[in-house]
Amino acid sequence: MKKRTDLWKMVSMVMLSAVLVAGCSKGESASETAPASVLKDGKYDPPFTITIAKQQDENAGKYINGETLNDNVLTRWGEQNLGIKIQTTLLGGDASQYNTKLRLALTGSEKLPDVLPVYDTMLVNDLIESGQVKEITEDISTYMPDRIKEIYKQYPTTFNPVVREGKVYGMAIAPNLTEGEVMLIRQDWLDRLNLEAPTTIDEFEQVIVAFTNEDPDGNGKKDTYGFTFSGKDSYNTGWVSDPVMIFSAYTGKHLPRQWHNDNGKLTYGSVAPGNKEALAKLRDWYAKGYLNKELATQGAWDALSDFTEGKAGIIIGRPWLYDSVKDVEKNVDGAKISAYPTIQGVNGDKTYQSAQLNDGVFMFNKDFQNMEAFFLYYDKMYDAAFSTGDFKYGYAQGYDYDIVNDEVTFDPTKFNTPLEAVQGVGKMAFTKNTPSVDGPGQSYYDLANGVKADTGVLIQSASKDQTTQDGYRISYENRDVLLPNEFNGPPTPTMQNVWEQLTTMEQETFTKIIYGNEPLEAFDTFVKQWHEKGGDTVIEEVNEWYNQASETDVMTLMNLK
Amino acid sequence: MYHKTTGYRVFSYFNYAFMILAGLACFLPLLHLLAQSLSSKAAISGNMVSFWPVGFNVDAYIKTFNNSNFNGAMLTSITRTVLGTTISMFILTCAGYALSKEFRGRNVLMWFFIFTMLFSGGLIPSYILITALGLKDTIWALVLPGAFGAYNLILLVNFFKTIPKALEEAAFIDGASFFVILSKIYLPLSLPGIATVSLFIMVGHWNSWFDGILYMSDASKYPLASFLQTVVVQSNMQNMAMSQSEVAAMSEQSIKAAQIFVSTLPIILVYPFLQRYFVKGIVLGAVKE
Repeated sequence: MKKRTDLWKMVSMVMLSAVLVAGCSKGESASETAPASVLKDGKYDPPFTITIAKQQDENAGKYINGETLNDNVLTRWGEQNLGIKIQTTLLGGDASQYNTKLRLALTGSEKLPDVLPVYDTMLVNDLIESGQVKEITEDISTYMPDRIKEIYKQYPTTFNPVVREGKVYGMAIAPNLTEGEVMLIRQDWLDRLNLEAPTTIDEFEQVIVAFTNEDPDGNGKKDTYGFTFSGKDSYNTGWVSDPVMIFSAYTGKHLPRQWHNDNGKLTYGSVAPGNKEALAKLRDWYAKGYLNKELATQGAWDALSDFTEGKAGIIIGRPWLYDSVKDVEKNVDGAKISAYPTIQGVNGDKTYQSAQLNDGVFMFNKDFQNMEAFFLYYDKMYDAAFSTGDFKYGYAQGYDYDIVNDEVTFDPTKFNTPLEAVQGVGKMAFTKNTPSVDGPGQSYYDLANGVKADTGVLIQSASKDQTTQDGYRISYENRDVLLPNEFNGPPTPTMQNVWEQLTTMEQETFTKIIYGNEPLEAFDTFVKQWHEKGGDTVIEEVNEWYNQASETDVMTLMNLK
Repeated sequence: MYHKTTGYRVFSYFNYAFMILAGLACFLPLLHLLAQSLSSKAAISGNMVSFWPVGFNVDAYIKTFNNSNFNGAMLTSITRTVLGTTISMFILTCAGYALSKEFRGRNVLMWFFIFTMLFSGGLIPSYILITALGLKDTIWALVLPGAFGAYNLILLVNFFKTIPKALEEAAFIDGASFFVILSKIYLPLSLPGIATVSLFIMVGHWNSWFDGILYMSDASKYPLASFLQTVVVQSNMQNMAMSQSEVAAMSEQSIKAAQIFVSTLPIILVYPFLQRYFVKGIVLGAVKE
């Protein structure tokens, strides 16, 4: 027996020391300091590495030619031309996994990457509180290139989530006003029934009545309906398959699920009075079969399959939605889709929709010393958006564009080595979306007005389907209907407790009213309860945050005025 | 005869009907997937495919096998499963054999293991541990943490216990060592138990995706399940930020279907060969002496 205990002791000693040795040797190599890199003629020598965190989205995960996350056409380009190697040391799958991994990294078990794209306002807040992210007020003022400063100047509200006590801890990722929603209609149905595209709520009703009852596809069966949308997650996604146009027709700028600055005070759109009329309308339509029967259970992507199958006549979404539903033109003979602007509100004003200015924020490890290098790289990423420099047509020939017979082409099937789909080279660095300065579709508007397609961006826009181009042009012409959510801060204390319940109650009430399971008056009860069950406190706190966020003039501090 | 009564016949009809339904519930989704993987993109996005391919083509499979990420992930998964199962089974049989004997401190040791079954450190300590051991970004991070599962250990210990002690004693008299007894007597006799536990571990390794995403910071090192998770689940997620042409490039449903189908095949193929051991393998506690 004695012998056995000795053996155990020995084994555990060996294991312990092995761990210690492993730990030490790792620590030593990390603390080894590289010779300082010097910026010479736009290139660092010797090259150094910027480590990044990345939320891998599906598209960014596709690499051709055997390339990988840390060794691809863009990382090689960076190393050769700038002396900067981008290396992903923290990779997450979907949003929740990515956030989990960032939180785990915060425990100090490993080195936090230099550049952290963060997409969750709560996590932004936690990172700032943890003291592990860098204050970059000065850095922006000193190192941000002028043309990028011009961009950030346009979107001061994007700094709201990252400002604490007059200090800036991050910056929006590639801010740009996103494209607005358009109405996609089955043009062949309109033509067959001798109808015009609707511009008011009454005309809209006439069209969906006709689409449901007058056999627009001419097959002698009553198997079509007017308008498909999804109410599963929210009645306002600002994205695809939502009915926010109908709500806005009655509530104007007070959109469901969104905060609006009403004369200096933020108000919550879902409890605005006009919603009741909108719900009454949808309820009536639902009962008569003009709407998607399963709207409350189908997500945004599911809701569009009825349109693609040829059962539904109208769907709303961003202009690129055409790409996702154009298969109907293959599935159904003679089918044709056209893009139209969303309808007018009942008072003759336009209808509004939610806009997005940025997708997440960049934050930086507090030990990261090379902000200048980051901005150098970031500026180059913008080359593709401005059609300048190395990336004037796109990021990499043969990846996202190609030159065939002296002509620039963005059609991957016509590349010298044909591809299934273009490679999102811009996404191979630290941004999830490729930087753009095209707003809601300026290049398409220019093209429609006869501008010659001579820059990368214009050629790319001109290569899209005509319906998509029309959609973007409409989006640009109506860019004044895009309303960003005025509240982009971290959830307030009361919000953390009650917001989930409040939005669930909202969603259920709206759906039950539309389905006819509850009387229309349920909306009044909902509004009353919403205010009582914490809504009032939330409004107070949100306004407090808003006033505080706009208190210090950080824009001047960052030299962005 | 009891089986001729009406009651019994009604009961067996009900039984058959129920089993057929249960079988279909397992089989039809797979069939739907197969049909999708062989259909054209337009037909799928128009929701026109049920159990028979519409616009038959095998493009999705060609594209799947030409995708280096898919192949790499497949390879990682196979390596992981083989390596993981081997390591696990080695540890488990050794430990199980020892623990099926009587010796001092056995119960304490057993308690020690069962404790890990009931309480785990949780995500954060595990992550810190794996990172500190330098296992991150290596296949060991996927294989080692779950190598010793107390539940599987109990299964094996109980199986070993059913083997008559007299066999072992006879072997001792003939001069066999512990290792010879384990490999020449216990292992062949407990094949059903070992096959069952191996299958549990194999399926576990094949299907687990979260650790891959957690411990790998390079997508090319993802095992298949993690790869599929990023491809299939994410694109259904409501990602408002997607813009411009990028959505159009989203992978087609038919390719996803093909990838899922291909990834389930290995387990489906392995199953029939191990299935015959199953009945004997988990009779744990059913027969009392």
